[in-house]
Amino acid sequence: MAATRRLQKELADIRTSGMKSFRDIQVDESNILTWQGLIVPDNPPYNKGAFRIEINFPAEYPFKPPKINFKTKIYHPNIDEKGQVCLPIISAENWKPATKTDQVIQALVALVNDPEPEHPLRADLAEEYLKDRKKFVKNAEEFTKKHSEKRPSD
Amino acid sequence: MSGEEFESDMEYSDDDCCYEDYYNIEEDCDAEQLDPSKTDPEYFLYECLTVEEVERLLNESVEILSNTLQITPSLAKVLLHAHEWAIQDIIVKYRGDSCKLLVMSKIKPPHPPESVASRHLRHQVCPVCVASQSSDMFSSLACGHLFCKDCWTMHFEVQITQGISTGIGCMAQECEVLAPEDFVLTLLSRPSTRDKYQQFAFRDYVKSHPQLRFCPGPNCQVVIRAKEPWAKRAICNLCRTAFCFRCGTDYHAPTDCATIKKWLTKCADDSETANYISAHTKDVSLSDVNDCPRCHICIEKNGGCNHMQCYNCKHDFCWMCLGDWKSHGSEYYECSRYKENPSIAHESVHAQAREALKKYLHYYERWENHSKSLKLEEQTLQKIKTRINKKVMNASGTWIDWQYLLDAASLLAKCRYTLQYTYPYAYYMEPGPRKELFEYQQAQLEIEIENLSWKIERAETTDRGDLQNQMDIAEKRRATLLKDFLEV
Repeated sequence: MAATRRLQKELADIRTSGMKSFRDIQVDESNILTWQGLIVPDNPPYNKGAFRIEINFPAEYPFKPPKINFKTKIYHPNIDEKGQVCLPIISAENWKPATKTDQVIQALVALVNDPEPEHPLRADLAEEYLKDRKKFVKNAEEFTKKHSEKRPSD
Repeated sequence: MSGEEFESDMEYSDDDCCYEDYYNIEEDCDAEQLDPSKTDPEYFLYECLTVEEVERLLNESVEILSNTLQITPSLAKVLLHAHEWAIQDIIVKYRGDSCKLLVMSKIKPPHPPESVASRHLRHQVCPVCVASQSSDMFSSLACGHLFCKDCWTMHFEVQITQGISTGIGCMAQECEVLAPEDFVLTLLSRPSTRDKYQQFAFRDYVKSHPQLRFCPGPNCQVVIRAKEPWAKRAICNLCRTAFCFRCGTDYHAPTDCATIKKWLTKCADDSETANYISAHTKDVSLSDVNDCPRCHICIEKNGGCNHMQCYNCKHDFCWMCLGDWKSHGSEYYECSRYKENPSIAHESVHAQAREALKKYLHYYERWENHSKSLKLEEQTLQKIKTRINKKVMNASGTWIDWQYLLDAASLLAKCRYTLQYTYPYAYYMEPGPRKELFEYQQAQLEIEIENLSWKIERAETTDRGDLQNQMDIAEKRRATLLKDFLEV
């Protein structure tokens, strides 16, 4: 299966490259189509914690895009309460079979670090982000402290 | 016979003074008056084409372009699709700066591809499936991004199952170069997928062609062609669906495409509210049952006409406003006009919201009521047909003698249809003299339509000449309103 060979290669590449912002990658040996990992953002208000995500690759991968879900609750204009995220690089219209998972993750980390309130999934948070940044940062920090996972020590 | 007499009467009265010049002057005028493109505001020239005819039409354009510019038909198709099939425009641009045109049309990349050393290797790794294969298994578009042929085929198949054809692009990240038809078809082997690709491509070509529209009728394959993409009524000759050529929705004159879209969206959002309020308030009625305003006996509306006569006390009243029909007068029909509260700007936000809703409901009720009347008049048409049959059977007149009733019913439907679509137009109009004129003409049309409806429902007792006259007046009012307000 094309998906398996490609995903094994991608997984090996990501693990050897030692990405700082995406760590603790867990893949079930019997099912390489589902990955879990820890997003470790650099920018406040999210730099006080880490966020677990799940990446689901379809059987037609890489001809169809993967889906990403947040397993950790996050206070973010582009990520909704169910953990769904709107990431243009993996939308069906924009997807390119040659796009690699590490490019997808980099785009995701960039979105977490710098929210895009212009096309939000949570309109209420986007409005707060634009109109009252101080309040947004305070709420997001408190939310991060309460819900996020511990950041890796190294 | 009577028509001829009437015409010649007119001629004599017109030509009392200048008898000799009669022929010279009148002939030109007559010719002009007969030209429907000038006299009929709804006149629209179009043709209904089959899929084969459209394919021939498109192929002609492809052939002209590929012959003129000495390019492949496949490339010509991409250019035509990207430029709304404007052949001359493309030829001029191609001769001016072919490279720029090809980049704009996403055939060439903005920057020429770097000559990759790996091209000359025996084996290389496909970036998509990460398998090492011999170099002759690889191909690329003009951008030079090499992928193995199996991956290209798989990519095309997945894209086609998602309904994409002319939009299929290179597989490389951030590369916008499109795959032309010949590139796709040489790599696709399965006949069913090839067919689907060509069907979807045909659909895209028709949609990008400014002169062509798919008939919106369910499962209808007809394509309508008009030289000018006007917002006028086209009727499919196969399934008889009538629609606006420009936007493809139900015909909506005098309202324009953008306004009707806004109105229908608003109605879809607010109709529940409107229905609820209407159902729970006494003074407005969208239901089919009402009390007679004088004797309060229960009356069910079972025809399209809004001029009601109570069967009990013979009181004449208007179904819309429940006012006395006489007060509507023969000259001015006030019921269609919404009277805005002049001091609304000084009222509270709450009162303004209520006023906005009141205004919307006024137009919505009339819109909805005419739509219902149209449906009820379909029943009237059925009744007319049965009545005609009975008459013929009883030997009171022949079938031909009664055909005018059917003409009257179809004219009534046409007029009421236009009337229904005047309400969204009026709703979005700015207050001012133009709106006053519009609502005046709308009122005029409305009363003539109700008169016509009344006369048709009572056709036995109405004189045929009287009915014919009423038809004429109603259609004139409709034409006048469209002439003054229809912008296409």
